[in-house]
Amino acid sequence: MSAAVTAPAGGAPAASRGILLMLLLPGLVALVITFLLPLLWLFRASFASSAVGALSGGDWTSEAYTTVLFDPFYWRVAWNTLVLGFNVAIFAVILSYPIALFLARTQSRFRGVLTALAVAPLLTSSVVRTYGWMVILGDRGVINSTLQALSLTDGVIRLTNNSFGATVALIEILMPYAILAMLSGFGRLNVQLEEAAAMLGANRLKVFTRIVLPLSLPGVLTAALLVFVLAISSFVTPRLMGGGRVFVLGTEVFNEATVTLNWPLAAALSVMLLVLFSSIILLYQRALRALEV
Amino acid sequence: MADHHVIIENLVKTYPGAQKPSVDHVSFSLPRGEMLALLGPSGCGKTTILRMIAGLIVPSSGAIRLDGRDVSSIPVYKRNMGMVFQAYALFPHMTVAENISFGLEMRKVGRAEREERVRKALDLVKLAGFGERKVSQLSGGQQQRAAIARSLVIEPELLLLDEPLSNLDAKLRDEMRDEIRDIQARTGVTAIFVTHDQDEALSMADRLAVMSAGRLEQIGTPREIFDRPQTDFVASFIGAGTFFEGKVAGPGVAAVDGLPPLRFVGEAAVGSPVRLMVRPHRLLLAGEDGQPNSFTGTVEHIVYRGQILTLSVRCGSRLLQADLPTHAGVLPQKGDQVTLTVAPEDVTLIGREAA
Ligand SMILES: Nc1ncnc2c1ncn2[C@@H]1O[C@H](COP(=O)(O)OP(=O)(O)OP(=O)(O)O)[C@@H](O)[C@H]1O
Ligand SMILES: [Mg+2]
Repeated sequence: MSAAVTAPAGGAPAASRGILLMLLLPGLVALVITFLLPLLWLFRASFASSAVGALSGGDWTSEAYTTVLFDPFYWRVAWNTLVLGFNVAIFAVILSYPIALFLARTQSRFRGVLTALAVAPLLTSSVVRTYGWMVILGDRGVINSTLQALSLTDGVIRLTNNSFGATVALIEILMPYAILAMLSGFGRLNVQLEEAAAMLGANRLKVFTRIVLPLSLPGVLTAALLVFVLAISSFVTPRLMGGGRVFVLGTEVFNEATVTLNWPLAAALSVMLLVLFSSIILLYQRALRALEV
Repeated sequence: MADHHVIIENLVKTYPGAQKPSVDHVSFSLPRGEMLALLGPSGCGKTTILRMIAGLIVPSSGAIRLDGRDVSSIPVYKRNMGMVFQAYALFPHMTVAENISFGLEMRKVGRAEREERVRKALDLVKLAGFGERKVSQLSGGQQQRAAIARSLVIEPELLLLDEPLSNLDAKLRDEMRDEIRDIQARTGVTAIFVTHDQDEALSMADRLAVMSAGRLEQIGTPREIFDRPQTDFVASFIGAGTFFEGKVAGPGVAAVDGLPPLRFVGEAAVGSPVRLMVRPHRLLLAGEDGQPNSFTGTVEHIVYRGQILTLSVRCGSRLLQADLPTHAGVLPQKGDQVTLTVAPEDVTLIGREAA
C-alpha cells in the first residue's frame, strides 16, 4: 500500500520511455476530460454569481462560500453528513468483518461461490435496494405491520423518513464494498502465523487479539475509508429513506443544483465535500503507515 | 524404549476424502536430547507426522507419548513444543524481540525476566543487537535464527523443525546446519526435524527415520542407514550405488549374471536370491584382473567434480558407477579399459543386518 511506483533502476532507455508515455496517454486523456476538467469547472462555478455566470464564466465572487461558511444550516448539514458517514462506516465494518474474515480463512471449496454471494447485492442498483428497505422499514412496512398485528405496538414506529432509516439502508448497501475492501486488505493474514502463535502458547482468543486483529487492521481501515467516502457522497439513499427530512451534503448539492438552481452554491458544497474527502484520505494514509511500518 | 522421551506408536493419518493414509502405522521413539531426522521424498508424510506431534492436526489413530504420557487430549497451545516452520512464520507486525517474547508473554512471565530471556535467546542464535528490528529487515538466515530463538526461548519439551533450511542458499545452509546442531547440543532439547535433503539428514541427525509413501522404511544412525540399508528404497534413496541381483552360490559368494562371482560378507542361505549394492566410492582402480571382485570394462562416461571423478564403466550389460579421488595418480580417460575392485565387506547385502 505504501510502496510508491518507482522508476526502473538506471532509468528506462529513451525508446521504451516513449512507449510507456504512449501507453499512459489514453488513460491520461480520459482522466483529464472526465475528471480534471469538470473538477476545474466545478471550482470555477463555485465562484460565480449565478448558474448563467457559471456557464459564461463572466464574473468572480465568493458569495457562495460566504453562504456555506456563515449559514449555520450548512454547518449542520456538514455535521449530519459526517455523523452519517461515521455511523455507516463503523457498523458496516463491524458487520462485514466476520464475513470477510471467514471468507479469507475458509478452506472450503465453496469459497469462491460464497465470496460471489457476499458481493452479489452489487448486481442490483442501490435504488432498488433502497426501495427494498422502504418496504421493510416503512410506516406500513413489514416491521411495523408485524408489530401491530401482534398488538405489540399501538402506533407507527418511525423507521424511515429519518436518519435512522438512511443509516440502516446505507450500511447494508455498502457492506459488499466493505467485504471486498477487507478481502483485498487481508493479505498479511496467514494460517501458519496463527499456528505459530498457538504453538507458542496462545489460546484462540489470544491468537485473535494478538495476531489476526492487528494483521487485518489495514484491511479494516481501507474498508472503513471506502464505506465512509461512499456514505458521505451518497445521495439516492439518504434522499429516499430520509423522505426529504435528512439533510446531508449529497442531498443539498442535488437540491441546490436542480430545485433551487443555485449552481454556485451547489458547486461550493461539492468543493466542501471534496475537502472533507481529502482530509479523511490524508488521515487514512497516516494511520496506514503507522500500522504497516 | 519405554523410558524414551518421545514415543510415537502406530500413528495413522488419513485425510478426509483421501483413499490411502498419508501416514501409515508409523512408530518410533527418541531418547531425551536426541536429534532425529525424518527423511523422505516429497509427499511421503513427513510434515503430517510433525503436525500431528505438534497437535495441529488430529491423528486418525495411534498414540503420541511424552515421558510416557499420551498428549492427544492436550490442545496445541498447552503442549509446550517449539516449532520452526519452513517459511519461519515470524509475526510481521512485531519486532524480533517481540516475536521471541510472545511465547513468554503467553506464559505470563514477568517483564524483567522476559527481557532477560529474550536477550539470552538472541545471544544464543547470534542475533544480539537485532531485537528492535522489524522482521522484514532481516535476511533469510537471520529470520530463520529468529524463528529458532522464538521456539527455544519457551524451553520446549520438544523442538520440531519442518525443512528449516530449504529457503536458504547453499552456503548459508551449510552454516545453519552446524549452527542448529550446535544450538540443539547446547540446549539439550529433544528435536525432530524434517528434510528431504539426505546430506542434511546424514550430517545433522543422531538418527534418521527414512520414510516412503507414508510408511517408515528404516530408522538408524546415519552410518547404519548409509552402509546397511535394509530396503531397496533406502538403498536407492540415500546415496548412489550400483545394484546387483543374484543368487547365493556358496557361503559369501553370489552368482550375478554376466559378471564374475561376487564375494560379500553376510549371512544368506545358499540358493536364495539376493540383492547387493556397491557404493561408488567403494570401487577402486585395480592394477590387474584376477583379484576377487574385480570387473573389467570400458569407461563410457566421465564427470569431473573437483575432488572426485565419477566414472561410468560398462561391464557387459551393466554400467558400474565409481567415484575415484582425483589425486590418485594417472586418471582414466573416456574409452580406456579399466579394472575395478571392491572389498567383500564393502558389498552391501540389502535387507539384512550386517554380519
Ligand atoms: N490438508 C491435507 N488434506 C489432504 N491431503 C493432504 C493434506 N496435507 C497433506 N496431504 C497429503 O498427504 C500426503 C503427505 O503430505 P505431507 O505434507 O506430510 O508430505 P511431506 O512429506 O511433508 O512432503 P514435502 O517434502 O513435499 O513437504 C501428500 O500426499 C499430501 O497430498
Ligand atoms: Mg512437508
